[in-house]
Amino acid sequence: MRDDWLRADRLPHIYCAGCGNGTIMNCVLEAVDQLGWNMDETVFVSGIGCSSRAPGYIRTDSLHTTHGRALAFATGVKMANPSLHVLVFTGDGDLSAIGGNHFIHACRRNIDLTVVCMNNYIYGMTGGQGSPTTPIGKTSTTTPYGAAEMPFDLAELAVAAGANYVARWTSYHVTELTKAVVAGIQTPGFSFIEVRCQCPTSYGRRNKYRQPGDFITYLRESAVLKDRWDRSSAGEELPSEKFLIGEFVRRSRPAMGVPDEA
Amino acid sequence: MKLDIDESRCKGCNLCTMVCPYRIYQPGTAPNRRGIYVPHLDQPERCPNARLQQIYGRRLCGVCALICPDQAIRWEKEKPYEPHNVVIEY
Repeated sequence: MRDDWLRADRLPHIYCAGCGNGTIMNCVLEAVDQLGWNMDETVFVSGIGCSSRAPGYIRTDSLHTTHGRALAFATGVKMANPSLHVLVFTGDGDLSAIGGNHFIHACRRNIDLTVVCMNNYIYGMTGGQGSPTTPIGKTSTTTPYGAAEMPFDLAELAVAAGANYVARWTSYHVTELTKAVVAGIQTPGFSFIEVRCQCPTSYGRRNKYRQPGDFITYLRESAVLKDRWDRSSAGEELPSEKFLIGEFVRRSRPAMGVPDEA
Repeated sequence: MKLDIDESRCKGCNLCTMVCPYRIYQPGTAPNRRGIYVPHLDQPERCPNARLQQIYGRRLCGVCALICPDQAIRWEKEKPYEPHNVVIEY
């Protein structure tokens, strides 16, 4: 049961009404529960931010670490005891801005971690500042006239840096996300799952998605299945307001920290 | 099995009303004690998980419980059905 993994005395959590982080937490716990992991051999690691509060609501050992350094701490945990299952919850600001270098080097080293990135397009906890994933033209506290910089495509970045499993889903696609987390956990080496999720309070309020339902509708309509796009597009460019979802890569490069090899 | 919304956890985001294929969840109309409009259930016995989980031995659908950001939706076990003796008074 998924509920066994939650600290019932800590709930309800502090996330805003309609926040996608709770959905992603559900999906990850469902995947972990399907695999039947032992609670004592699982470690959840997180950095700083809204997303990183998630391990606090889960009844396993967890590390709530410094900003952006969740992957560095997770590497240490995994290398000290490769038999542990290590999952990392992280946000887009945590992973791509402050921890960007840790991220690409964790991909390069191909450490046997599963990283779930809750990409809500902004720094939600500190008041909605623009992050490296804010799309062009979207307003935030620090980009009041619309973001002018190109956003990071985290999934493509992980593919280029050498991760073994990369997928991207949204918080609307819950069953696919659960399957992707299961597949990522079962793939040896670095697995990266980017989840585009809604932040109605900080991002949606400034971008006409104030209601969680409107935001979910936007996510659903701007998501394009990668397999379908590859079949039908014939090499043309994706419209800038859309993004691809699906499994980006699954390969078996030499990994580090896999229990059998260590 | 019985579908149940935990009112102490629900924050009234109404995401469950979007995803349920049977439209069991309807947006709430009256605020509860904490001022939250908790969705109300429209004939929750139609839920396939509540009806068929015992037969199939696994969770069916369950999208509402997965998408609920507040972990408020769950299925509670019910006591097995017992036939009652009905006394008809003339």
